[in-house]
Amino acid sequence: MPKITHQSHLIEMEKITKSFGDFLAIDQVSFNLTHGEIHALLGENGAGKSSLMNVLAGIYAQDEGQIKLNGNTVDITGPAMAKSLGIGMVHQHYKLVSNFSALDNIALTVPHGAYQSGIRDLRKIIISKMSEIGFDLDIDKQVGKLSVAEQQRVEILKVLLGGAKIIVLDEPTAVLTDEESKGFFKTIKLLAESGAAVILVTHKLKEAMNYADRITVMRGGQIIDTITPEDLSEEQLISLIVGEIIIDEPNLSKDIGDRKISLQNLQTTSHDGSIALKNISLNIRRGEIYGIAGVGGNGQAELASALMGLSKLETGAILLNGHGDISSMRPDQRRNCGLVYIPADRQKYALAGQLSLTENYAISGLLRHEFGSWFKVNSFKAFEKASKAFKEYDIMGVRNLNQKAASLSGGNAQKLVISREFSSNPSFIIAHSPSRGLDLRATAAVRAKLCMARDNGAAVLLISEDLDEILLLSDTIGVINGGSIVAEFEAPTARHDIGKAMVN
Amino acid sequence: MNYSGNILTKKRLNLEVREPLGLLAKTIILLVSVLFGLSISIFILILSGVNASDLWNEFIIYIFTSQKNLSAVLVQAVPLIIVGLSAAVAFRAKFWNIGIEGQMIFGAIAATFIATNDVGPESMRLTLMFLAAAAGGIGWIILPAIIKIRLDVNEIISTLLMNYIAFNFLLHLLYGSWRDPLTGFPNSQQYDTFENLPLIGWQSLNFSIVIALFLSAVIFWLFVFSRFGYMLRVLHSNANMAQSLGIRVGILIFLATIISGALAGICGFAVSAGIESRMTQSFFVGYGFSGILIAFLARENPIGILIVSLLFSILVIGGQSLQVFYQIPFAMVQLIQAIIVMCVAGSEFFIRYRISILKR
Repeated sequence: MPKITHQSHLIEMEKITKSFGDFLAIDQVSFNLTHGEIHALLGENGAGKSSLMNVLAGIYAQDEGQIKLNGNTVDITGPAMAKSLGIGMVHQHYKLVSNFSALDNIALTVPHGAYQSGIRDLRKIIISKMSEIGFDLDIDKQVGKLSVAEQQRVEILKVLLGGAKIIVLDEPTAVLTDEESKGFFKTIKLLAESGAAVILVTHKLKEAMNYADRITVMRGGQIIDTITPEDLSEEQLISLIVGEIIIDEPNLSKDIGDRKISLQNLQTTSHDGSIALKNISLNIRRGEIYGIAGVGGNGQAELASALMGLSKLETGAILLNGHGDISSMRPDQRRNCGLVYIPADRQKYALAGQLSLTENYAISGLLRHEFGSWFKVNSFKAFEKASKAFKEYDIMGVRNLNQKAASLSGGNAQKLVISREFSSNPSFIIAHSPSRGLDLRATAAVRAKLCMARDNGAAVLLISEDLDEILLLSDTIGVINGGSIVAEFEAPTARHDIGKAMVN
Repeated sequence: MNYSGNILTKKRLNLEVREPLGLLAKTIILLVSVLFGLSISIFILILSGVNASDLWNEFIIYIFTSQKNLSAVLVQAVPLIIVGLSAAVAFRAKFWNIGIEGQMIFGAIAATFIATNDVGPESMRLTLMFLAAAAGGIGWIILPAIIKIRLDVNEIISTLLMNYIAFNFLLHLLYGSWRDPLTGFPNSQQYDTFENLPLIGWQSLNFSIVIALFLSAVIFWLFVFSRFGYMLRVLHSNANMAQSLGIRVGILIFLATIISGALAGICGFAVSAGIESRMTQSFFVGYGFSGILIAFLARENPIGILIVSLLFSILVIGGQSLQVFYQIPFAMVQLIQAIIVMCVAGSEFFIRYRISILKR
């Protein structure tokens, strides 16, 4: 690793301030980055990490303060300018054209002369880059049909091929599995050693502790401290971030009952680039969390949508205790049997951003005929119930219940989804990556709610690409790979064994 | 890579996504954009030789000081209100009903069939015509609705093409067996007195205004208070979510299109039995696109539709007198409509973004 000298700051951000309306997102923040380092930026949602990085990437203009690059003041007038200065950012929400192939998406940001010949050259460059950093990706596939993890690889390739020397990664491993993350960090180390500097915006402390040269902690729009990983223990770091201590310990079920749901030989056909489910059979008991571990894009989304009745099964039965085979039922009928669903992509499948918080909350109750008649919706009752639920689920940042759902942060949006889904006392819960992109506090709250439902006797199917989450919560663990369950473990299990089954 | 260049600029324009705006701010932006569109229109009209005071007289003074002109505006507003509602209901379900004119034609054909064949007792004739018109409109939207929901056939194409079929069928009737036997003109025979919507005792205003207001109230209730409207809002905002929550999206879209078709059919009846007293070969012309524009400008809000329809109607009536007294082509009215719509559409940009000038 190159020696860090304080004279050779690659980037110096001095007293940067940025506000949105009345809201002060970052307040007089000074941050620096040296050549060849991996600098982790830690903090909860809303701590100001993303705002600071968006200023650096030219997406926001700061209200006050200046940015120096190699000691010279620069005025970053926009993303194109940032790119020409060698600053590349991979956003948490990807900026990809979903109808285009991965190759075309990369060609959009990194054009290589004339389209036809450029594409040929670019294909060679991408393939060699991918083998260099150990990426596996079908670059001719439409981006919309790639898994989230694969889409991220496209984004990283875009930045790398754009010649970025300062690489900002916003929550890069939120969607990656253990194995993928390890390979990813190997890449990042390589890049740093070759002289690039990497800013890693993350919630994951282990990553920061293991891979970063320096760690900067933000809270409430200000920088709390910049440290090296050797300076602090993980617990001390947590208390820096949240101002208190949150402990992560496995929380397994104490009371597992009889069989609640039995999946028998589920098969689907592959269409639109989805993975076909092959012979999926598993049982989930009352009071049990069954974790499905696996690399993203191996049939997780297809399994969830087949169970909710959103896509058709070719063969197989879904036996639900007390209701028989529900595999031919419509989604609404399945919900009436006690199924609920927390989808991985909450913005796309679980929230109506333009509708109010109350409307988002009350829709499921409305469909259960709880709020008035067909003729007249009892909006007062819906409002009362929503405000009660919002207090119970500790949904913060709510100015009033008529504000749009789009204004909620990730963690609060997820709490809203969970409060709605749990409002019917469900007996079978399908939760797909329920804590993706959430900060420590929100993650803990979401997991606690799942455990609470389990303790109340519900059966929970937890599909997650985050192996830590699977290990913390699951009583039984199935590993999905290529559309089938390739291994099943009883908790506690060695992390290594699960990881092996995931990539074999 | 050039890191060392010291890049300084004095001023630059900066574009930022706004926090969601309040109703007042949105209304102000909307009003400003309408005024901006109107000033462009006034400028064009002045260029084409109408002087400013004449414009003021034609569009404001003559209309609001003359009971006759005011009632003409209200009469003209009725069909605009009904097609506006028709478009709004379909759009709420994300069904782009371009076939309003075709549905108007079949509504009028069904009503005229009742009238010319003297179906039912005289006292019930108008009611029957009304119901038949609704059924006719439904009949002409049901096929595009079903193939959209079942086979995912694009409704913009199917409803548009259905317009041509309807129009040619109308001509077939009017130049064939339904031609007026008395005059020989290619329109239906005149309705009997009891087959026309009665006047309500003020100028030329007839009962169709009551129908339009009643339908507006019904759609307002549907959108704002009913469970159906709530589900439509969810569908409109996020169709994936609606499906995932178990809303039966297909049925919802079907019901909304049926209502849209029925309203269009009723509009055909309102024009024929309210204004023309017969079915002509061009009674529907322009209403389809007007309906779409009105629903768009009113953001599918029934009260907004009442207001926008009234403004459109003033434009049409004022435009007619410009045509007569100043030889301004009627296309100018359509031009003005288009300019205003474009300005309002453009105002979306200012609702979403803030533009500021940064100085360094």
